[in-house]
Amino acid sequence: MSKQLKIWTTLGLTALGSATLVQATEIDRTNAPSFLLAQADAEGEGGESGTEAPAEAGEGGESGTPSTAEGGEGGESGNTGATTYALGSTDPNAYQYDAKPQIEAYVDLVYRAYEKAHDDAKAMKSAIEAFLAVPSDETLKAARQAWVAARPAYLRTEAFRFYDGPIERVEGSINSWPVNEAYIDYVDGDPKSGLINDPAADLDTDDLEALNQKQDEADVTIGWHAIEFLLWGQDLSATGPGNRPYTDYVAGQGNNDRRRLYLQHVTDELVHELEELAESWEADEKQSYAAKFLSLPPREAIGRMVNGMAILAGYEFMSERLAVALDSGDQEDEQSCFSDTTKQDFIADLEGIRQVWTGDSDGATRPGLDDLVFNIDSATADKVTALFADTEAKVKALGEPWDQVLASPKDSPGRKAAEDLVTSLQALSDGLAAAGNKLGVLVLVPKE
Amino acid sequence: MPLRLTAAAGATAVGLACGAIAGQPDLRAQLLAMPLTPQLGGDATRPIASPKSFSLQMPNAPRRHQRPFSFGNRLFNTNWVIAPGSVKSFDGLGPMFNRVSCSGCHTLDGRGAPPPDGEGPFDTMLIRLSIPGSDAHGGPKPHPVYGGQLSERAIPGIVPEGRARISYEELPGSYGDGTPYSLRKPTYTITELGYGPLGDAILMSPRVAPHMIGLGLLEAVPDATLSALADPDDGDGDGISGRMNHVWDNATQASAIGRFGWKANQPNLHQQSADAALGDIGLTTNMNIAENCSSAQAACTAALAGESPELPDEFLDKLTLYTMSLGVPAQRNAEAPEVRRGETLFRDFGCASCHMPAMITGDGGPLPELARQTIHPFTDLLLHDMGEALADNRPDFEATGSEWRTPPLWGLGLVPAVNGQDNLLHDGRARGFPEAILWHGGEGEAAKQRFRLAPKHQRDALVAFLKSL
Repeated sequence: MSKQLKIWTTLGLTALGSATLVQATEIDRTNAPSFLLAQADAEGEGGESGTEAPAEAGEGGESGTPSTAEGGEGGESGNTGATTYALGSTDPNAYQYDAKPQIEAYVDLVYRAYEKAHDDAKAMKSAIEAFLAVPSDETLKAARQAWVAARPAYLRTEAFRFYDGPIERVEGSINSWPVNEAYIDYVDGDPKSGLINDPAADLDTDDLEALNQKQDEADVTIGWHAIEFLLWGQDLSATGPGNRPYTDYVAGQGNNDRRRLYLQHVTDELVHELEELAESWEADEKQSYAAKFLSLPPREAIGRMVNGMAILAGYEFMSERLAVALDSGDQEDEQSCFSDTTKQDFIADLEGIRQVWTGDSDGATRPGLDDLVFNIDSATADKVTALFADTEAKVKALGEPWDQVLASPKDSPGRKAAEDLVTSLQALSDGLAAAGNKLGVLVLVPKE
Repeated sequence: MPLRLTAAAGATAVGLACGAIAGQPDLRAQLLAMPLTPQLGGDATRPIASPKSFSLQMPNAPRRHQRPFSFGNRLFNTNWVIAPGSVKSFDGLGPMFNRVSCSGCHTLDGRGAPPPDGEGPFDTMLIRLSIPGSDAHGGPKPHPVYGGQLSERAIPGIVPEGRARISYEELPGSYGDGTPYSLRKPTYTITELGYGPLGDAILMSPRVAPHMIGLGLLEAVPDATLSALADPDDGDGDGISGRMNHVWDNATQASAIGRFGWKANQPNLHQQSADAALGDIGLTTNMNIAENCSSAQAACTAALAGESPELPDEFLDKLTLYTMSLGVPAQRNAEAPEVRRGETLFRDFGCASCHMPAMITGDGGPLPELARQTIHPFTDLLLHDMGEALADNRPDFEATGSEWRTPPLWGLGLVPAVNGQDNLLHDGRARGFPEAILWHGGEGEAAKQRFRLAPKHQRDALVAFLKSL
């Protein structure tokens, strides 16, 4: 792993209804192509010395309203976070609430969530290493179970996406799908396909990372679903998951050694990425994203929290993962298609959104957005809480495995249940947008 | 929900805001006077600077467009397979093709580039072919055997058409202050020809895949705006002409103003999407019902096809909605002093004469999210003579061999973050902004010289501005 330095720079943005951009510029002075360095230098002051995080994120952010934000009263620094998520109001006393407990709770929640995702991925890594040490039906089964067991903790972190957090830079390396299986390994009808069966292809972690989604968006080389494919193989069954034989990993045969290396490298890399994400949310680290987050004007932080939840519910989950699959007629149009565990993904995504709402996770109770909204408008808070209950019931009512629902006819009860979930997720995202508005933040989800 | 997206969204001038009235001679001055805001796509702007900067729906899209957008995204990313495939909806690849998906070239909805070493295959660019003369509608005359585009790939059992290669020659030059630079001049050859010689009269136009953001907004700019900005005979004597291309609209079977493609050879995104589906992937639609095989390619013609059309109207409409709806990333660092100086220089050097800093959309046609937006695409959507050095010498409808449509500059600063490269111009020959500027000739010659002769701090400021877009 080359030595890298991460600097969180606030990219000044004075714009109607837009968010201050905080972008991690990862600077590798030894290997980075010159254009990336040039960009980093141009965009992040401090890129030259590379020693400290320069940006005072979002200072002065409360000053303007979106309607007056144009024209750059943010001054010359290029780094003042103009009012962005914060809604304007003619009432000078509007949105005067104390969100410090919720914002601090959120940073702790996010840190613990990534830490848990990291821990669970490490447990998966151990199981995979045990499998590689002694390949057998039993050890393969244990490795698969460990993958399934590790997934929910990661999916619960997906509610921390869709703003300028650390995940945005690396999400494509962690959870990209669908996977063009043939780019990685053999597939039905093509025993020689994939990087594993191409002796000329370098399988170093850095090479695999560089190839990820490079040739095509579906040419995924790393992340959860690459590992899933390596453990299960293609799902060619109408009723069950993929069934790759453990003998694919017996050392010394065919390209098995390359496959073993590949699995080891992508597993290591996933664990490494999750570790870095957890570190970037360590509030004690002065240069971490968490520290920047805590220094944001309160509504800029609240805006990120609410947008992450609402966009996951109302866009990514509802539309990109659920509705598309219902519309396509492709049985394998699901995120965890090799293991047939997509329903578990759905459940965990919703749990993650709810954790941000309540502040509570894994037995820890924290001040949540629900209390904050309740104190301002109890009806709105109660409505959102009810919408969570409704949506959770709809997720649990989904047929399993999910690909059986996708294979069912147009008017099947399974599809009807899924359409009901689409409707509930839309209502939830509307509810979260309304709650955000009560808190004086703009929520970027589509409206009717 | 039937989506009708074929209406010519740009056909009306109704709804122009800010008092700018299309057709009046001062429209250019009014647009140039509009202040630049970081909201480059108006309300369709996304504040995002990440590898996904080009991939998100316009934030002002109504909910009813969300699901078709997501399905369009799915189609855009689909790796099409040979018919008959296990999922009939997604088969029909080829017989001839360049890539198996839209995102194969427009990866992460971003830009293509030439292969790094010039050796094929061309993954994110292609070569248009024709012979002298024009077809029945005034378009390029396809090669009798190879058709209008080189297909580097084909399904098993079919011979691909050939393989393009690039060799580069470095051309040294220097800035006014003596700082040297080098431009790489490409030469294209086609080898491994599958169907006999191309002949001496072959015309070739290499083109990289452009990034996909804000295209619906560009479509919603009224035709009247293009007419008002056009100055075909350089009536104002500024050395910049600006001509509209007039191309063939398959749906209406009539001539229409061109605005998409490197030579503005496509009138709208519906036809652009259908033609790319056929020409690049080999997918038939009701717009193009015949497979992409010439009469001299018997095995291609005889190959098993998917259900006809392979891309039904519903799919093509959703794909088109997708291409219309990708949001525009906001400008970064707008307040940085260097960026602000760069914007001033951009105007002072004359770049803004063609790269129009502001446009106003019309009524948006079927998509209200496109309507009445003040946008900052940095294009006038018109053809300009760019000089001999950039010429492909292949006319395309009314575009001459040395004319190109002004490409939008919005989002170009994010291409390194999305696609890991910074190649620019129609064939990706330029390695970054300075080289792209230095390649300008013809109507862009004067602006280029101002840049070349400017002191380094000014050149750097201009580039900082371009990177902020």
